[in-house]
Amino acid sequence: MLKIILDRKEPSLEEVRQHQNFDEILAAFTYQQKVNNPWRYWYYPLLPVCLLLLA
Amino acid sequence: MPLQLSLPQQSFLPEEEKLLIERAQKDPRFFAPLYERYHDAIFRYVYRRVDEEEQAYDITSSVFVKALQALHKYEYRGLPFSAWLFRIAKSELYQSFRDQKAQRTVSIDKVVLKQVIEEWTEDYTEQDKARLLVALKELKDQQLQLIEMRFFEKRSFKEIGEICGLSENNAKVKTFRAVLKLKQFFHQKE
Repeated sequence: MLKIILDRKEPSLEEVRQHQNFDEILAAFTYQQKVNNPWRYWYYPLLPVCLLLLA
Repeated sequence: MPLQLSLPQQSFLPEEEKLLIERAQKDPRFFAPLYERYHDAIFRYVYRRVDEEEQAYDITSSVFVKALQALHKYEYRGLPFSAWLFRIAKSELYQSFRDQKAQRTVSIDKVVLKQVIEEWTEDYTEQDKARLLVALKELKDQQLQLIEMRFFEKRSFKEIGEICGLSENNAKVKTFRAVLKLKQFFHQKE
């Protein structure tokens, strides 16, 4: 269902900037990259194996 | 009146923008100037199409996260970088409508509404206003998008074409047809 709003007040540029900034976006992107990395499950199990091999 | 719907004329030079994109493709931290340049326009595009401000912020965030995720695939093909961002915004918006996280909304300034009606009828009445609002609801979504961008957001046909993936001429023709349809619905309600 379509909603029509007349004469809607828009937040100012400053309000928008206060609400969102690039650091948050970058942090969200970095987190997503980490979560989507298929190798992340292998990092910790592989560490003891490597140590054992080295020993 | 809306603050800044269309992008201001002053922009990065294409070469300058290309360099910024190439740098950001290598290191996402260099995306900051592009974010600063386009964030407000993307936010307002989203804001006018959803009914809650918080949703507009959430969708805008996901637009930029998606843009960063897909940046390595971006290739310059003559279209401005903003068009690519607007297309991501459009797709994110429609995803949230499908997921029912946001409600499809059209934000209209009364002054603009009056201008549209005055082009079609001699006198502007409250009844005409109500009729136009009903007529808008009867349009197909693509027609509504074109009317919204052209008349309520005052975008150029070039910009509409870039956002919708149409040529400037095709955007003109399709908008003209959408206006005819709207007029037809408007007069049917008399």
